[in-house]
Amino acid sequence: MYPINVVLNKKLNGLHYYNRIILPFKAHILKVIVSSNIITDFSPKSKKIFIREKEEFTSVYFLDYKDLNDALSKFDAIKMVVVEKGKDVFDFNNHIKISLYLEPGHKVKIEECDQDIILLE
Amino acid sequence: MNKNSIILATFVLLITFFICDDVFAGNYDIAIEDTVTNAQDIELAGKGDSLIDYLMVIPFAILLLMIATGPIFYPHFWENHYPKVAVGIGSAVAIYYLAVLNDHHSLLDSLAEYLSFIALLGSLFVASGGILLRVDKKATPLVNVLFLLFGAVMANVIGTTGASMLLIRPFIIMNKDRIRAYHIIFFIFLVSNIGGALTPIGDPPLFLGFLRGVPFFWVIENVWFIWILPIIIILVIFYIFDYTNKSGGSLKGDKEYSGMIKFEGYRNVFYLCIIIIAVFLDPAVISWVPSLHPLPIGIREIIMFSVMIISYKRADQSILRLNEFDFEPIKEVAYLFIGLFIAMIPALQVIASQAQIHADKLNAGVFYWATGSLSGFLDNAPTYLNFLSAALGKEGLDINNTADVRHFVSIDVIYLRAISVAAVFFGAMTYIGNGPNFMVKSICERAGIKMPSFFTYIVKYSVPILIPVFILVWAIYFR
Repeated sequence: MYPINVVLNKKLNGLHYYNRIILPFKAHILKVIVSSNIITDFSPKSKKIFIREKEEFTSVYFLDYKDLNDALSKFDAIKMVVVEKGKDVFDFNNHIKISLYLEPGHKVKIEECDQDIILLE
Repeated sequence: MNKNSIILATFVLLITFFICDDVFAGNYDIAIEDTVTNAQDIELAGKGDSLIDYLMVIPFAILLLMIATGPIFYPHFWENHYPKVAVGIGSAVAIYYLAVLNDHHSLLDSLAEYLSFIALLGSLFVASGGILLRVDKKATPLVNVLFLLFGAVMANVIGTTGASMLLIRPFIIMNKDRIRAYHIIFFIFLVSNIGGALTPIGDPPLFLGFLRGVPFFWVIENVWFIWILPIIIILVIFYIFDYTNKSGGSLKGDKEYSGMIKFEGYRNVFYLCIIIIAVFLDPAVISWVPSLHPLPIGIREIIMFSVMIISYKRADQSILRLNEFDFEPIKEVAYLFIGLFIAMIPALQVIASQAQIHADKLNAGVFYWATGSLSGFLDNAPTYLNFLSAALGKEGLDINNTADVRHFVSIDVIYLRAISVAAVFFGAMTYIGNGPNFMVKSICERAGIKMPSFFTYIVKYSVPILIPVFILVWAIYFR
């Protein structure tokens, strides 16, 4: 498990299997956009997303999809607004916008959103 | 190619095969005689002969209802199954026309119009997706007003689809610290719809009128003063909305703006030019352009589909990535509109027959409201043609005769004005009123902007803002 900044700087990748992505960090997830779905309900009752944190990684299940590959093009990313665990979630300077691109071989490329990628909080 | 794409392609191919079957068999003339044409429908309906089954309007109503209610009440089902629903409902109507009415021609006409529609929209969508416009400028109400005005004018040069795709991202980025749904709604009103009322490139109905014989510059010469009124009023209303929006200011503190406007993807500008030139490549406009009749596709559509493929294959990958290019918005339009184009055939035939029956009672105001109210929910291109046909019918002229259309344009300007502006303006009334509306909505949702539902859009924005403006246009110009 790494801090998000380390993951971004070292360009560490995540993994994806069907509707599940595995991220090598723990974070407070504030907003997720996948395709045209805007997800802000991360409660256990959410019908769109289920998040499970393990000691070594975070699993995110997208319940609306059988396979994320069917929903996303190669230029399309899952976008997230996240805050490092332990940091002040109310300080907007701690909010990090990341893009997750699905790549062959079950890899997920994790990047900080480019200024031209639009992700509104 | 995924499963849904195969369903759509198979459906289009099957329809083409069935409706062209007589033609390929060399029985085209017989097919024409045996078939109930749209014009014959109208004539017979006028004599009280009921060939049109009014009940067949129900599938269209169901599809409209599902488009309106699906994303709200059963989003999971709708997101996963809307392609099957649209194609299924379209198939039911197609089977009825083929098996019961033996009417190949209505389907062939609709299919040809659909392919023209999707070729233009798709090619503009893909070509403009390879262009990146960076605007590093602080959005103020005045800057936004100027931006929307620029978009409205541009819609006449590269079409409402091209202008919407090109400008929606810079508009969101400029306003990212203070954006609200109304920003996008006004963008849809002005850039995706009303703005494009000045040239045949602007919006598909005007393009169809141009193909039927309305001179290219007739629209701008006869409509510009009507166009200005809603543009100014809606911009003023937008300014008031935007002025009272005090949510400005970056969440991460004040940002320095360079005022820079940067443009990338010049190659795709060249592709956009090819698409715009291709608009004119029609046998009805240029005599040496070969007709591919009886195929429901022409040289123009082949060029547009080719440009779509080439511009995607040769586009700068980094620009596509920054634009988060995805075929989903155009796929959504393609699926929903194949169902709508086929399912609305009976509805349009009912309109056409009623318009012919009541031709004597039709005045400019009736043409304006009837064309407009239907264009908000049906596709505005065939609606425009049917009311143009009815207007020509009042003078004993035929819409299929270019000389008749040119003669009509010279004697009866007000009807064509009413039909032209209503078909374009009222497309802004709903998400399904015009192709780009859906695309803009989809792009905004991908950016994280919560867009109003189908009904909220109508109740909260269209009715209170657009209807008073449209009433004013009617009171001044068409009453």
